[in-house]
Amino acid sequence: MQASRARLFKEYKEVQREKVADPDIQLVCDDSNIFKWTALIKGPSETPYDGGVFQLAFSVPEQYPLQPPQVRFLTKIFHPNVHFKTGEICLDILKNAWSPAWTLQSVCRAIIALMAHPEPDSPLNCDSGNLLRSGDIRGYQSMARMYTRLAAMPKKG
Amino acid sequence: MISDSIPNASIPMASSNPKEFVKKKRANRVAKLKQYKLDARREQWLSQVKNKGCCKEEFVVSEATHGPPSVHLENESGRPTEKLEIKPGGKEDNFEDGLLIHHYSDSESSPLNSPTSRISSILGSNDSVTNFTGSSSSSRSSSSGSMSEEDDGGCLDDWEAMADALSATDHKQHEHNLKSGSNSPPPGQHVNGAQSESQSEITNRTVSRTASSKPKPGSGVRVVQKAPVNSWAWRPDDACRPQSLPNLSKQYSFPLNPERHVGSRGSVCGCKNVVPVPTSCPICYEDLDVTDSSFLPCLCGFRLCLFCHKRILEENGRCPGCRKQYENVPVEGEATSDGGSLTFRVARSCSMITRS
Repeated sequence: MQASRARLFKEYKEVQREKVADPDIQLVCDDSNIFKWTALIKGPSETPYDGGVFQLAFSVPEQYPLQPPQVRFLTKIFHPNVHFKTGEICLDILKNAWSPAWTLQSVCRAIIALMAHPEPDSPLNCDSGNLLRSGDIRGYQSMARMYTRLAAMPKKG
Repeated sequence: MISDSIPNASIPMASSNPKEFVKKKRANRVAKLKQYKLDARREQWLSQVKNKGCCKEEFVVSEATHGPPSVHLENESGRPTEKLEIKPGGKEDNFEDGLLIHHYSDSESSPLNSPTSRISSILGSNDSVTNFTGSSSSSRSSSSGSMSEEDDGGCLDDWEAMADALSATDHKQHEHNLKSGSNSPPPGQHVNGAQSESQSEITNRTVSRTASSKPKPGSGVRVVQKAPVNSWAWRPDDACRPQSLPNLSKQYSFPLNPERHVGSRGSVCGCKNVVPVPTSCPICYEDLDVTDSSFLPCLCGFRLCLFCHKRILEENGRCPGCRKQYENVPVEGEATSDGGSLTFRVARSCSMITRS
């Protein structure tokens, strides 16, 4: 569809213009395909993901922005709403609560917010969800921090 | 002409451009003759000023002490030149017309106004032009540089062309007067304000300067004199008012129109006042045209273009702003009602104004 292409191109220009505005999000378009994007987001502070950099893969449908983009984590993350193996994200705005007014940038912001505020009642990662639901905050945090160190931080040395 | 007023700033760098100076010397014998006369006349005037009273002398001194920086300052605040201009205005009675004109042009063009500067100015007007512009912004240097080229060519005997340029300048100034008149600035300031507006205004200023330095008092000079008094170049019923000048009503319609537009619009649909109208559709990022920007499909105030609205209706039909289902009869029906057509018309006229 031409409309989605035009919209994505405008978003690309917007991202180029506001690169400095949001240092936590780095949104890059694929060189050859404007429907493929990758994003690097910083783990929010005061969470077990603090200090990690997580890579997201965007796959934008032709019907965008009427249809939401498909987003998944490429970086391993221990989070109740992210599938540990596939990186699939359970987020309402990426499913039925999507609005065409959202942009790829705002989706990144929403995912950062989801990292800070996990929703254990609709888990994709049952281990993580069970830890939180049973009240083992410390267990969840140490697991999440460990995986952040393992997967989302640059290896030392 | 131009060499009469501009060269006054030339002293420090009169010999900075010897090549052009030689060229000029050959080309401008006639100009120099004329200049000699004018300079003699100015000398006479200066001595007159000195004799007339110490306050005048003070004025000249203050001009000299201001130096080139005042050229910059006048664009920023307009204060230094305001001072310079008001003073001659107050002393108007003491001088005959021609002298006053000289006075004005001096205060306007070159702060370095002293008798000695004129001697060097005779040598080469082009040097002085570059010098003068060198002390000011680069944008001005380009404009006044081109002006000097014209003047060298043959503007000496071309009084008619000069008069035309003058009337054009006055036209511009008058327009500005009308605009600034609605804001009611202090009367002495308006000439300055008009000239510091843009580069085109600066070009006009060069024209007016060259023109006003001529001994023959043209119509433009009269404007310059009159302007500080009532800040109107011509009264609407003035007999000598050029017909090419725009009508007052046309001018005033500019500031008034948007208010009228907002008023009528607000009365037609109240909720539009809450959410500012975006310039582009948030869905497709295309610019909203007049029809789109007066299209309000949802009560939440979320605006989008008609095209995207149609596409959304084909999909799930929910407003992107509030995720509520669009009602079957969208609010766009309002546009076809009697109030709506008025909204369209006013909106169009407003958008044209903001574009221009």
